[in-house]
Amino acid sequence: MAFETPKVNYSGTIREITLGTGPKAVTVGGSTSYPFHLFEGTMPHPPRIAMEVLDHRPEDWPEAAIAPFAEVLDNPAAWAKKNVDEYGADMIALQMASIDPNGLNRSAREAADVAKKVIAAVDVPVILWGVANHEKDTEVLRILAEECEGKNLALGPIEEGDYKQIGAGALAYKHVAVASSPIDVNLAKQLNILLGNLGVPADKILVDPTTGPLGYGLEYTYSVMERDRMAALTQEDEKLQYPLICNVGSEVWKTKEAKIAAADDPKLGDAKERGILLESITAMSLLISGADILIMRHPESVKLIRKMIKNLME
Amino acid sequence: MITHQVTIIPDAIDISVPHGENLLRAVHAAGVHVNSSCGGQGTCGKCRVRILEGSVQGGKTEKLSGDDFAKGYRLACLSTVESNLRLEIPPDSRLHRGVLDRTHAGSPTGRLASARQEDMAGIDLKRPVIEKKFISVDPPTMEDNASDLARTRRALKKQHGLSDIGIDYTVLLKLGRTIRENEWRATVTISNNCSGAICGGTFPHITRIQPGDTTGRHYAIAIDVGTTTVCGELIDLVKGEAIAASSEYNGQIKFGEDVITRMVFAQKKDGLYLLQKSVTDSINAVIDSLLTKADVERADISHLGAAGNTVMTHILLGLDPRYIRSAPYTPTVNEMPPVRAIDVGIGLPGHVRLTVMPLIASYVGGDIVAGVLASGMHRRDATTLFIDIGTNGEIVIGNREWLVTASCSAGPAFEGGGIRHGMRATFGAIEEIRIDPATCKPVVFTIGGERPKGICGSGIINIVAELLEAGLLEPNGRFRTDMTTGRLRQGRDGMEYVLVEAERTGIDGDIVITEVDIDNFMRAKGALYAGYQTLLESVGLSWTALDEVIIAGAFGSYVDIEKSIITGLFPDLPVERFSFIGNSSLEGARLAILSRELMDEAGAIAGKMTNIELSDHTPYMDHYVASLFFPHTETRNFPTVMERFKTMGRSCGNGKGDGT
Repeated sequence: MAFETPKVNYSGTIREITLGTGPKAVTVGGSTSYPFHLFEGTMPHPPRIAMEVLDHRPEDWPEAAIAPFAEVLDNPAAWAKKNVDEYGADMIALQMASIDPNGLNRSAREAADVAKKVIAAVDVPVILWGVANHEKDTEVLRILAEECEGKNLALGPIEEGDYKQIGAGALAYKHVAVASSPIDVNLAKQLNILLGNLGVPADKILVDPTTGPLGYGLEYTYSVMERDRMAALTQEDEKLQYPLICNVGSEVWKTKEAKIAAADDPKLGDAKERGILLESITAMSLLISGADILIMRHPESVKLIRKMIKNLME
Repeated sequence: MITHQVTIIPDAIDISVPHGENLLRAVHAAGVHVNSSCGGQGTCGKCRVRILEGSVQGGKTEKLSGDDFAKGYRLACLSTVESNLRLEIPPDSRLHRGVLDRTHAGSPTGRLASARQEDMAGIDLKRPVIEKKFISVDPPTMEDNASDLARTRRALKKQHGLSDIGIDYTVLLKLGRTIRENEWRATVTISNNCSGAICGGTFPHITRIQPGDTTGRHYAIAIDVGTTTVCGELIDLVKGEAIAASSEYNGQIKFGEDVITRMVFAQKKDGLYLLQKSVTDSINAVIDSLLTKADVERADISHLGAAGNTVMTHILLGLDPRYIRSAPYTPTVNEMPPVRAIDVGIGLPGHVRLTVMPLIASYVGGDIVAGVLASGMHRRDATTLFIDIGTNGEIVIGNREWLVTASCSAGPAFEGGGIRHGMRATFGAIEEIRIDPATCKPVVFTIGGERPKGICGSGIINIVAELLEAGLLEPNGRFRTDMTTGRLRQGRDGMEYVLVEAERTGIDGDIVITEVDIDNFMRAKGALYAGYQTLLESVGLSWTALDEVIIAGAFGSYVDIEKSIITGLFPDLPVERFSFIGNSSLEGARLAILSRELMDEAGAIAGKMTNIELSDHTPYMDHYVASLFFPHTETRNFPTVMERFKTMGRSCGNGKGDGT
């Protein structure tokens, strides 16, 4: 008798979510099997990468992460454009770190104006990422939601503490809500239910399971994403059938191992290569556990991961 | 030593207190009860007293509002006596004992578990563990001058078919005299053999001898030693039924409200002794009341059968509960041979034997064994979920083939602990509300119809369910923030809902339910639900496999099943599958006293029940997090609740609040 590959019986499908508008709009999700289990189901939309842009000149980025953007570090709009034109970014993720009350504490208005320039500079979808400060994120994202109506942006992170405020903005001006919960299947699901109760349509939700980078809890994120996918695909848990978005770049590049110079700890090897690999390995692992959108920083890591996705899809 | 005079009103008690003495300790020493859930740690805020004259040191805490502090309120446990005092104990700081005896006016959806009669078919309830036999002993002659004991045993064999009967040394001391006292007629009390260590593996033996025929006066007392209350029944062993009932608060309450604080207290100097004495004092009071009510002589009591959780059983027997508290959680004994009741400090004659229901594990005790025995679930083919709701929620799932059990720490929310205006189910406790969808205002119902003083455990369930149905509360336990109703407001612990405005309450101030209260309730119900789920999964079953759900415990009887399902406290199963069993611990204790067979069965139940230690069970935590949501994160398991929410339209508010 011929060998037959055992196959998982799937009963659910991941919802398709579209970001942005026009010819460069990006659709993710739609999978009917575990990631890249193409022998069991289909992945109509391969995972996509959003490249990071910081909304102010980065202060604590290691040299390796700064070098590719050296001439645009003071101009987020130019930075975004460079990511698209030169590095082929599918999407832009604007990290609005400048609004952090414990940091620059830039006013909501000011930050929104910078963000609007970024949004205007590119024709790809834009993901707006706050600082997980409920008041400040609400303030900034509400302005942007309203003033960028129709752009179909992704607004995040939306947490239990501010889901009503930011969720209402996403709902009213038709943007996508990025529901962020601290590495727990149940909490992820609860937030999705709450957003649903608020009236956010099912095709306007992305789930951010919270990313732990390599060496800093990657295995937790991995397991939780795996369980998200099991519940969504094999247990028909419709409250978990949303694409997953992982904030990889900023989590990886803030670790000590990604920042330390080779001279300070020679046994860790070349700093640039190390940082790129830390980011790439984190990203690869998350892809295999179910990520649909990866927010990444270094163009070299992006290149590697893009290649990996291509290979896996063949 | 400087002392101060302290007058306690309204009790009108005067006490003399050394300078610097802790006020709570002083008040307790005077025999006046003041609530103290935390055992005097200053954390529960229940021991509010009001200083009318004089002053104390300390007593200030964030548990008291500035307003209350200005009015003279202090926490007794944090206050030390500095001068002569006039002290008022406000009503919300007191227990009200009248409610212990209240007969509840029909639980809303409940029916009593009634299947037991058929289960009990074939069980002789007039074959008690301790029995009395009347005998006529042959008088000795020169030809037959065998010993008195030999002739007593011969009479037992000839007249009752009983052989191999032993005798207590203390009975021997008066054997000769007693059998001669009433023309060689006497009554012997025999403590019977039963399997396992419950009866010490001993042979039947004579524990008492009385002249003449006293078999018509043969009584026993069943006691449920609860963490909060001690309930007793006087049983006429001749008739095979209970003839009086009585209860008291467990005197240990003043040392802390839950088993953990009691165990901590037991480690203090004289702590174990004080705890044992408090509970035996309470038991003695119950016994006194039973004897008075039924007009029975103390001397006619033959047996005291108790059931309690592991910690209560240990303390009653004077066993140090120290090793129960920490991993790997070992009790000193699980099965205890009978002891003389008098030896543990119970005021009953020396012949009275105290038996306790066998224990299963550190947090699953004899009360649960008794409960299962009373429920009869261990005799049925149907799979039953048995829930005893309390500070410690105990759960059993099983049928005649198997039984699994677990204990989950629900916290004191069901008894009003950890709830701002929480209180026990006494007069004035809010037990139900109805929210008017037009105004978002509640109509409040209290126990005894008195002016509201606080919220009891069953009240919290009903309030949360009503708030959810009215759409005022989100499934994550947060109040809606986009409403304009005067009843929802920002309080010192976040948002709160005003149940009763100050001028209509029986206390000083508004009665509210806060988001923190709701969080505490959510954790309590979550701990229980996660417990059922973990137990079910441990035996590979799903919810639909549950044929019956039995709710035990005094508190359980007042719970509204439908409202409980709305909050996710109980699984969403057809209401007909639920039944109440009341104080099953007491009932089980009574059954075991009445029937040797059932006493043996209790041993068998304890022997075959598998305890699952939830703290050591990884999926439990996951299920717990999933349960921290109303009704539950897994909404699919609550189809009727979801349907109900949909059809109710979550009517309240919608901007129609009256803004007052």
